[in-house]
Amino acid sequence: MRTLVALAAAAALLSPTPARAVDCTSLPNPLYLQIGDTQEPVIKALGKALRDSAANPMTLIYVTSGSCTNIEALYTGVKITTNPFYIPSAAEDPAWTPAAASPSCVIDPAGHAVELANSALFVSACNPSPQPLDVAQFRGPVQAYVMAVPKASSQVAITAGEAYFVFGFGAQGQVGPWDDESQLFIRTTTKSTLLAWAAAIRVPAAKWKGVRLDKSSQVLSSVASSVAPEKAIGILGAEIYDGNRATLTSLAFQAYGQSYAYYPDSTATSFDKQNVRDGHYVPWSPTVWLTKVDAGGVPTNSRAGYVINLLLGRSAVPAPDFKPLDIVISKGLVPDCAMKVDRPYEGGDLVRYQPAVPCGCYYESKTGGPFSSSCLSCVDDTPCGSGRCRAGFCEAR
Amino acid sequence: MRALFITLVAFAAAACGGGPGKPDGGSDAGDRPPCVQGVATTHLELINACTDALKIEKNPTLPLRLPDGGLPPLP
Repeated sequence: MRTLVALAAAAALLSPTPARAVDCTSLPNPLYLQIGDTQEPVIKALGKALRDSAANPMTLIYVTSGSCTNIEALYTGVKITTNPFYIPSAAEDPAWTPAAASPSCVIDPAGHAVELANSALFVSACNPSPQPLDVAQFRGPVQAYVMAVPKASSQVAITAGEAYFVFGFGAQGQVGPWDDESQLFIRTTTKSTLLAWAAAIRVPAAKWKGVRLDKSSQVLSSVASSVAPEKAIGILGAEIYDGNRATLTSLAFQAYGQSYAYYPDSTATSFDKQNVRDGHYVPWSPTVWLTKVDAGGVPTNSRAGYVINLLLGRSAVPAPDFKPLDIVISKGLVPDCAMKVDRPYEGGDLVRYQPAVPCGCYYESKTGGPFSSSCLSCVDDTPCGSGRCRAGFCEAR
Repeated sequence: MRALFITLVAFAAAACGGGPGKPDGGSDAGDRPPCVQGVATTHLELINACTDALKIEKNPTLPLRLPDGGLPPLP
């Protein structure tokens, strides 16, 4: 009998126990976000730094949804009612990195308000009406969008004209090899990835042919595992693509009126986003961060305001004990301060742009791309001529 | 027949000067204008500015394209 009890006790110890459900309300210094899934990589990386920060620790708790849905949630007060993801602390899960899946917590049965919402494209592309008076938009780093094919595909480029017929006409467009609508992996109409591409190739989101998928991860897996790799093509945010280059290949894109096709980066294998920065790669959108503000335009949720400052590369108080700009850059986003072109609305014409506080040289120092000859190292303004020494490099101003 | 050439452009000094191409994505082979040299300001100049980035020349066959090179309305 004693042996049986001992065996039963041992079996109980060895059997897998279900993970303890974490109550979201138990997480320290929470900030609730609703973001596009293309922005999950940067939020996970930033969240990890914030969770372990000694300067201003907080827990990012987030759900992903379409940009248009996220905007409406903040505008109209739609609460988060499904169990969200959260960023664990190093003490809670020492092995967790932003490359791993985020754990989820149990949401309050009454739900929780969205405190920081994200649109991964111009808000006007989703909702052209004026925003509520108590909401402000903050333009964050730029994200490129790509068309991707399986590694086994021989395709390297697509023109806007081709994409117009492929996605606007489907099989009737007669553009090989992308003439099988079951191999066109697209997104639903609330998603920034589809809306940004819709503007770039002038095919309204509702008219696209193909298989509409809810998540970027589904596009990723559908393209990568296609049984007809030459015919398969999907649309993704560059932030997602950059994290999965081993499984997919992005196509160079030739915009309307452009003489050649270009990658977002200066080559197919680099990460410098040179062509996004200087206007040779046209399909890109700003990430936009929305939160409630007071009459003076100041975020009413101080944690939301702090995270916005980090994402936008602004000074934040207290100063973070990590480099948020490095996190943004490492996830394939281009901070506004490194852009040389801008546009006024989704798919709008590009114009030259000079950021007020440029960081192009610093950006290039972090991405391993071609380093501009004017990017001198500096410790003060002395070697910079009419420019300024910023973050160790001479910038134009 | 689809012709596809991948060209690593040497530097901006090579074959620069001129305006942008046709207002569509599929210029015919041989009629591509040279890249835009100097300070690009308009959209078409910016997207066709000389660059040292890898550029890819593609000449797709688009059977439904209109005779004038334009795009037909979507179905």
